[in-house]
Amino acid sequence: MNKPGLKYGALLLLLAVVVYHSVYFKKLDEVKAKGARTQFDAAAYADAFWKTKLLPATTKATDLNTLIQALKTDKDQAFAAHSNAMSIGNIRYFLVKGQGKITAVRDQEVTVSLTNGPDIIVATEYIFGNAARDASGLISLTEFTNTMDLNNVSAEINQIIRKRVVAPFKTSVKTGMEVEFTGAIELNRAHLHTEAIEVIPISIRSVGT
Amino acid sequence: MNQAFFPKKIPLFALIITLLIFGGCQKTSSENQPKQVAVIISTLNNPWFVVLAETAAAQAKSLGYEAKIFDSQNNTALETDHFENAIVSGFDAILFNPTDADGSVVNVLKAKEAGIPVFCMDREVNSSGAATSQILSDNYAGCVAIGKYFVQTIPKKPSGDAIKYVEILGLVGDNNTWNRSKGFHSVVDSYPAFKMVAQQSADFDRNKALEVVESILQAHPDIDGIFCGNDAMAMGAYQAVMAAGKTREIKVYGFDGALDVIESISNGKIMATGLQSPETMAKTAALYADDYFKGKRDFPQKMPVAVELVSQANIKDYSALIK
Repeated sequence: MNKPGLKYGALLLLLAVVVYHSVYFKKLDEVKAKGARTQFDAAAYADAFWKTKLLPATTKATDLNTLIQALKTDKDQAFAAHSNAMSIGNIRYFLVKGQGKITAVRDQEVTVSLTNGPDIIVATEYIFGNAARDASGLISLTEFTNTMDLNNVSAEINQIIRKRVVAPFKTSVKTGMEVEFTGAIELNRAHLHTEAIEVIPISIRSVGT
Repeated sequence: MNQAFFPKKIPLFALIITLLIFGGCQKTSSENQPKQVAVIISTLNNPWFVVLAETAAAQAKSLGYEAKIFDSQNNTALETDHFENAIVSGFDAILFNPTDADGSVVNVLKAKEAGIPVFCMDREVNSSGAATSQILSDNYAGCVAIGKYFVQTIPKKPSGDAIKYVEILGLVGDNNTWNRSKGFHSVVDSYPAFKMVAQQSADFDRNKALEVVESILQAHPDIDGIFCGNDAMAMGAYQAVMAAGKTREIKVYGFDGALDVIESISNGKIMATGLQSPETMAKTAALYADDYFKGKRDFPQKMPVAVELVSQANIKDYSALIK
């Protein structure tokens, strides 16, 4: 074999090696599956938030009776001191606690007459919205670049409430039961109504006899 | 030789000194001038966007800046011209309402390369990190509230039959369309009794919604509710329902907080809407630009603005809007 032939053959071989190691073929479903694994896991985030942040934060929740009085006395101060929200605007959320007697049980809610206070509603059916996510103020907006992830966190926290809080409560709830609860409420700063407060429960349990 | 040197060199020296002095003065003068804020809006042919533009410009002026409004006339090419103009003219920030979530990205990136912060208002661009911050209505949460009200207010069938409803979508290429739809379905799809029998786009247009709903009512005369992705379509849908003589049987829900729909709610016609606040978005964008000029850099990529549910249950709270 002549020298130029050897030279071109070696170059061709080298080129083949380089091309072989430069191009990879993968199955599309494997790539998609890998991509899916790296997506934000809202359920895991919500579970961790629930256990490590939200439940511990309920020990510092504002007493609902006290809050209602504060809202009537100085609304702006009460909102500034106790409310949180990730969005800007009139809708704000409060982390609250309370105690009272159940005076009515309906399919979607129970009425609780607060001890030395007014009646409030605890939701047992329509657990939606951002109240439980935002009330503690412990999630920072800058953690998220995708708003749909944030929306999914709300949906997953609400799902936790349905399964871990509301479902067991509904099996034992009855009129006359004394309960203590923690939860999140939504109030509109510009159109405040303290006479129809609805609590999304974070914990609720029977107390006393 | 020295005598010959000086006459030639002195004018040149004087010229350099003069240029340095005036150049310096020019720079000092520029530094003392108020910063310029460009307000680039998708269209000024819609009163909602006029409010957005004028509020943004007014807020920027109240903060001590010069503000100029540019109308893109829903034309991405014209929008590109406005961006190039703003960059060349030395604007210091852009308060931006994009014409197209994808098509406007390149304009935002051009401004970013030129070191000009861009704050999107109401509509987003599909590129994380291109804009300094995007201040957007929380369409999803607003439609969660509407979805909840929808489920609560459409009566259950005593026979246990399906509750049939229709969804009228906005522009299918618009992110707001899908965020609203997803928020609504995140609630309604939790209730198996609710069955969506038709989902069609009417491009956020009242007349198209009228035609689409008229057509749907031919095929599904027994529907119980219609959810529309904006208020213009809700007005068109209600018109179709009224023409069919079914205002008692079919409940209509919208989104936007348009005054004609708020009036319709107060008259017991349309059931509910989600009240957006262009003023809040515009003011926040201008305030963010002010913060940027003062050195702040850690802005949230997307800042949601709360949407308030206006319904037949709380319409009294909003009656001042239509007086």
